[in-house]
Amino acid sequence: MSDFANNIKNTALLEIKNLNLSFGGIKAVQNVSFDLKENELLGLIGPNGAGKTTVFNMISGFYRADSGDILFQSKNVVKKINDLKPDAVNKIGIARTFQNIRLFGQLSVLDNVQLALQQRAPIAWFDSIFRTKKYLQTELDLKNESLELLKIFSLDVLSNEKASQLSYGLQRKLEIVRALATKPKLLILDEPAAGMNQTETDDLKKLILFIKDHFNLTVLLIEHDMKFVMSICERIVVLNRGEKIADGTPTEIKKNNSVIEAYLGKRSVANV
Amino acid sequence: MINAMMALGLNFITGVANQFSLGSAGFIALGAYTSAVLTKEFFHAWYLIPLTALIGASVSGLAGYLVSIPSFRLKGDYLAIVTMGFAEIVRVIFLNWNYVGAARGYNGIMKWPDFSWAYFVTGSFLILTFTILYHLKISCFGRNLWALNEDEIAAEVMGTPVARSKRTAFMISSFFSGLAGAMYAHHLGYISPGSFGFLMTVNVLIISVLGGLGSMSGSVIAAAILTALPEVLRSLPTGDIDIRMIVFPILLILMMILRPQGLFGRKEIWDTK
Ligand SMILES: Nc1ncnc2c1ncn2[C@@H]1O[C@H](COP(=O)(O)OP(=O)(O)O)[C@@H](O)[C@H]1O
Ligand SMILES: [Mg+2]
Repeated sequence: MSDFANNIKNTALLEIKNLNLSFGGIKAVQNVSFDLKENELLGLIGPNGAGKTTVFNMISGFYRADSGDILFQSKNVVKKINDLKPDAVNKIGIARTFQNIRLFGQLSVLDNVQLALQQRAPIAWFDSIFRTKKYLQTELDLKNESLELLKIFSLDVLSNEKASQLSYGLQRKLEIVRALATKPKLLILDEPAAGMNQTETDDLKKLILFIKDHFNLTVLLIEHDMKFVMSICERIVVLNRGEKIADGTPTEIKKNNSVIEAYLGKRSVANV
Repeated sequence: MINAMMALGLNFITGVANQFSLGSAGFIALGAYTSAVLTKEFFHAWYLIPLTALIGASVSGLAGYLVSIPSFRLKGDYLAIVTMGFAEIVRVIFLNWNYVGAARGYNGIMKWPDFSWAYFVTGSFLILTFTILYHLKISCFGRNLWALNEDEIAAEVMGTPVARSKRTAFMISSFFSGLAGAMYAHHLGYISPGSFGFLMTVNVLIISVLGGLGSMSGSVIAAAILTALPEVLRSLPTGDIDIRMIVFPILLILMMILRPQGLFGRKEIWDTK
């Protein structure tokens, strides 16, 4: 028994094996493999169009891989999650944010979080229609729990505002809080720093490190801004044109020739 | 009151869940015919109308559920087309079905013994419809619908069972459309396929939109206004011209320009914020 448990400790929380996906003729992701240990903060970088978001969409259940495996460890059992739908992927413990913010803009800040939270405590219709004691109690608990979560991020004072009324930086933050409300083990963030200024980026850096500790999370971070990733990730995987070209610590990545080429190559094209 | 019930049914699926349905008349017809046939052929007692009405509503609800299974694989406009097609199929079936009078219509449906009973039972059903739909709107289930209304992809990622919620909402909406249909049948005592045409759906839709998509009290108030207005206009001394045909469209156009979100938007009349 103890042997078995040990064995599992050593396996990765998330393991991507030989993933492939083509859109028509475009090979968006080719033979990509990497893994994520528990409590790790892994960066996935690469120039625009490298296939980062596509990998994310396969993990979170929006695209089905042409071939390859996505394995996730849940309750000490390793499961293949290739074929799960997005809501099932979330239930198993993976939450994500989007490259383009996708909040429920017309709903309040509180409702955005409560929506995520309530999926864990489904209420029977009967109770909703008749507003039974049990229903009202559950609603109140959900509300308080949401407010507590918002408070950690100083968003509780804005709980009644429409989500669309928040500033860009706060919307990003709220999207992360909403993802956290689904109580994930793995949080995947798609270019959270995109469109942010320097102060906002610095705040975001602190925020990511804080939630990783506070909620005991494993984080997979997509960015195309090298500097940002270098400064917070323990390990980095680099994609270029759908293929993995490097995997290592920030210092290793900085010295890697093919990485420099991929990024510089892009810059020289942009300069022409 | 009956118009209000019809509008509430549609408003729940189109206003709250943002699934644009054009099948109201079909579900209303199913409830109407079911309840009418049950009282006339089997139960023969007016005090059993509430029971047959609920059976009629259930038939509609079930039909709604069945229609929703393939429909929600499609998005947006397709749902409107499928539900419109469904309503047309229902109408054509009743049009050719001799047992229910085919094109001649179905006559001699059990009616209420007097006005006060009619008002009492219809009113009670309206209150029931309103209360249930309003409570669902502000419940966790409603929150799921509001979320998928705005962004299905994000809702799914948050673990919302999007497809199942839509099917449930559609079933609930069809159920109450059917209940309204039953009230309609017993109120008039006569129904024919002609009354369940596309025009009925349009009427119901206008009430929902005017009251505000997502506002339950808005639907009730808009139904009251739109039902009373023709009566008021009829009493105007306008000679031969049917002034309703002029005032009505002008009113709708003004409404679209001044308050495109309807009287109450998605709020209720008592909501302050
Ligand atoms: N749904 C799609 N249909 C067709 N091509 C797509 C689709 N999604 C992504 N692609 C293509 O796949 C490649 C990788 O895109 P993406 O994963 O978004 O890159 P990144 O997130 O690294 O910038 C691009 O060439 C893009 O045009
Ligand atoms: Mg991307």
